[in-house]
Amino acid sequence: MHGANMNPSADPGDGTSTASEAHPRAFLRTLLQPHRRWLHLAWLAGAGAGLATVALAAAVAWSIHLALFGQGTAPAWPWLGAAVLAVLLRHGLQALRDWSGQQLAFAVRADLRQKLIATASRLGPVHLAHRGHSGSWASRYQEQVDALAGYYARYLPALGLTLAVPGLLLAAAFSQDWVAGLLLLLSAPLIPVFMALIGMGSEQIHQAQQERQNRLAGHFLDRIRALDLLRRSLALEAARQDVAEAADDYRRLSMRVLRVAFLSSAVMEFFSAVAIGLVAIYVGFALLGFLEFGPAGELTLFSGLFVLLLAPEYFQPLRQFAQSYHDRAGAIAVGAELAPLLQPPTVTGHPAALRAASGPTLLRLHNVTVRYEPDMQPALSGVELDIARGEQTAVVGPSGSGKSTLLALCAGFVQADSGSVAIATDARPFAWIGQRVHLFHGSLRENLLLGAPEHTPDPELGAAMATAGLRLDDPTLPHGLDTPIGEDSRGLSGGQAQRVAFARALLSGSRLWLLDEPTSALDPQTEDDLLTRLLAHARARDITVLVATHQESVYRRLGRIVRLAEGRLQEDSRV
Amino acid sequence: MSDLSFLGRLFRRRRAWTALAYLLLALTWSAAIALLALSGWFITAAGLAGAGLLLGLELFTPSAGIRAAALLRTLARYGERVVGHEAVLRVLADLRSASFTAIARLPLEAQRRMRSGDLQQRLIADIDTLDGVPLRITGPLAAAALAVLGAAGLAGWLAPWPAPLLIGGAAGLTLVASALAARFGQSRSRALVERRSRERVALLDYFGGLADLLAYRRTEPYREDLERREREQAGAVLLQERVALSADQAVQALVALSALAMLALALGWHEAGRVSAPVAVLLALMTLGLNEALSSLPGALWRSGESLQAASRLRRLGVAPTEAGGPPVQPSRPSGDLPADATFKVEELAVGFAEDPPLAAGLVFGLEIGQPLVIHGASGRGKTTLLETLAGERLPLRGSVILAGRRLEEWPEAVRYRAIGYLPQQTTLLDDTVATNLGLGLPELPDHRLWEVLETVELAAALRREGSGLAYRTGERGRRLSGGQARRLALARLLLREPPVVLLDEPFAGLDAPLERRILERISPWLQGRRVVLVTHAPDRLPADWTRLAIAPGGQ
Repeated sequence: MHGANMNPSADPGDGTSTASEAHPRAFLRTLLQPHRRWLHLAWLAGAGAGLATVALAAAVAWSIHLALFGQGTAPAWPWLGAAVLAVLLRHGLQALRDWSGQQLAFAVRADLRQKLIATASRLGPVHLAHRGHSGSWASRYQEQVDALAGYYARYLPALGLTLAVPGLLLAAAFSQDWVAGLLLLLSAPLIPVFMALIGMGSEQIHQAQQERQNRLAGHFLDRIRALDLLRRSLALEAARQDVAEAADDYRRLSMRVLRVAFLSSAVMEFFSAVAIGLVAIYVGFALLGFLEFGPAGELTLFSGLFVLLLAPEYFQPLRQFAQSYHDRAGAIAVGAELAPLLQPPTVTGHPAALRAASGPTLLRLHNVTVRYEPDMQPALSGVELDIARGEQTAVVGPSGSGKSTLLALCAGFVQADSGSVAIATDARPFAWIGQRVHLFHGSLRENLLLGAPEHTPDPELGAAMATAGLRLDDPTLPHGLDTPIGEDSRGLSGGQAQRVAFARALLSGSRLWLLDEPTSALDPQTEDDLLTRLLAHARARDITVLVATHQESVYRRLGRIVRLAEGRLQEDSRV
Repeated sequence: MSDLSFLGRLFRRRRAWTALAYLLLALTWSAAIALLALSGWFITAAGLAGAGLLLGLELFTPSAGIRAAALLRTLARYGERVVGHEAVLRVLADLRSASFTAIARLPLEAQRRMRSGDLQQRLIADIDTLDGVPLRITGPLAAAALAVLGAAGLAGWLAPWPAPLLIGGAAGLTLVASALAARFGQSRSRALVERRSRERVALLDYFGGLADLLAYRRTEPYREDLERREREQAGAVLLQERVALSADQAVQALVALSALAMLALALGWHEAGRVSAPVAVLLALMTLGLNEALSSLPGALWRSGESLQAASRLRRLGVAPTEAGGPPVQPSRPSGDLPADATFKVEELAVGFAEDPPLAAGLVFGLEIGQPLVIHGASGRGKTTLLETLAGERLPLRGSVILAGRRLEEWPEAVRYRAIGYLPQQTTLLDDTVATNLGLGLPELPDHRLWEVLETVELAAALRREGSGLAYRTGERGRRLSGGQARRLALARLLLREPPVVLLDEPFAGLDAPLERRILERISPWLQGRRVVLVTHAPDRLPADWTRLAIAPGGQ
């Protein structure tokens, strides 16, 4: 068992990785780098849309001004036509802005998914398992990567435009009347300040009750999962009341946070409404001639309407930024989780040299040390081992003694931190049967063919199954080779899955079998049968077998016993 | 009942909250429109008055109106957010409770399907989709309708008939454009969901089977397959996103163009002397102000398809929308009492998945008090299936299981569960305290009873050391316990009951031999007093004088 040195709950990135790429924000930036032209396009389009907005406001204001004060010298229609063009330009450019944002988000996600897949095969199954089970890797690939979409599609474009577009509109307002411009200028900076204050307030409440809130949110799913248990315990009725109460508690707790959090949208609303109102009243009184100071005397209806039309647009980028702000928090959370996962495994010292072995030796480990974490006990230390072709070796020792690590090292799933490993070319491909056999979604036939030549005929598959101790006419395999195998090997028991894995190994024609507690799900009778046949098969074909086990019934059958204790070689005896 | 009326009935219970939220949203938008329109009116009027073209402009009312609209917009927005979410969370509570009731009432086979993690996830996702309906779909639709009606009414009062017609037309066109976009989006979303779950299976194979793939050098084809799936998926989603964002911009452009058309019309009317200049500007700005209300429609309709699908799935599950409490889903007290002597035997029993061939057949045995029956046999031979049949979780293929003289399935559910204590192979714990897990379905028990059974299974010391004792939370799926600890807690739960028949499926899985021996010794007296079946793959660890029964293909 990996047990002692593989705690699945240990945080894999915890303090071990100092590379700057492991920092979530740096990680998000690195992902952006190859595709930043989309972001630039989004910014350009957004800025262009801002210009179109200014043109639209000017055209509308000017056409009204002309209609009321033009006295027929110039018609308003051309200006209305210009306004129509400005509308089309503005929304066309905004569509381009959003389109580029989406393009960016998709490009980044495709990259990241590829990286996850590539990292997984580079890490190998052992380090992969260190960093979460396959279900959580699948969620990372699907949900977590998707959770980055908003950050690239909306947040980053909004971030660049949140100063540029209001700045542009502000300049346009100042060009007409600096007092009106000042009114807009002063109202904006207060918004982020208040929002930040409110954000901190709601964050505080949220943190104080987060654990309880999460639990209540998950309560329903938990009870659905436990349905069988609840029914058998005659507790369904009580659970129903429980579910209702938990949902109600969840509502009360959530509302406590939301009531504060929603103040920030009220603040946004308040400042933009007040700014529009102030501009309108200032412009109105200036036009009436009630205001004598500054530029108020020269204000025209055109300038007044122009600034009024710009005022609501002035707050629009800020509003979009505020709406996409939570995308950032989500993305940073994802980055914090994914960044360390994509780091190469920590190697202390100099990685061991990997050479091709020659002569009768298939595998040679020389003074090999393997560590999973720099500050932890090594899983293997100073191991010296020579495996000759055709040898049948048992690796024995208590849980956590390094048996699995030794096998993983021979498989190439982990690298040695020091020493040297030599592997002969005919040790690849090899057959691997782990503690928990994985069967692939599909039919039994597809699973058997995984390691076999492509057109292996059915009778050969059946013969391999029989050698592995599971005949195709067994009552549990009603459809023979076409028996469907579902997710999680559904449809077969653990023992059957192990026998399928054996048949797969037989069919692959591999010269090296690495078996990690291969019979743990079998009863003694089946185990005995199976081992007798398999070892005879291997002996007849000169196949090298390495078995990690703690069962005497298994290792007493093998010609050589290598005993490990706390990662050190204790005994190497040939019977 | 259609999916729509299902939704209608679902939200009817919370109609006060939802109606208030809609009103507040309509008020927010109306205030925003009023603010802009009134400001335009005021500026134009002031411009004319300043030039001496308009006499006797009253200043107090418009500036007070502008201030009132600004304040109202803020307050209504805050109220709408709070009330809207209150409504959503209340609907969520209703939905959870109604779904649980519905599932609890399902027949056993249908309930069993809920064991699939996929179905559970989809149920949760469906509920989350539906609880957002008032806030994200019906709310915007209702409030937009109100705002449009208000604006059109005002336009009709101030200007000739084309003005309200233009506003109505803009709203109608927006609705049509949004519906078309939504239809397009929905036609693909079902295929997307399916493709996604197939992708998940492929991912589980890649990550879970990596050792085999590397060993047999088959990573490349699997990797290419995943990349192809990703490309197809991304292409389809990107197309959807593009339609959605184009619909958004098209609707906004439509509203802006309508505002320009309104301006052109109104300026014409002004020249003809039918409306005043300030009113002409007000009409155009009012139309422009509808943008916020109308631009929420594409999103709302886009989501409505998802919600209808979610509703139809829940409806098929049997969720009744108006269920508040209803009759109990399971009687907790047996209606007929269990006879004092709960004899238990099987006659010519065949168990398995299919009649031909059964996993085991021709089983005949009876259980005696004090003589536990140990069932062993090769894996995959149906030990667990047999135990499930004995527990009444699965019907026999042939033959019968007889409890106290009657066939098992003839007993009322409550009697059966009380008579038979069953520890299945899979450990289930609630994400709750140790005390709750132990006392599940039992009347209040004194703490010392709980500690007693925890001592028996050697969990007491660890819990005392930890500090929170019986209040220790086991975590989601028992994650805060080790596998062996969880197993022992499940065993302790069974020990607290007094079932005359006990069925144990690998009760000591995950425990080392000495611990297993100590626990077995302690619970022996408890076992000796009842009728017991114990399934194991290591029969040699159990007392030699217990009866053995080996299951072999086709029989015993």
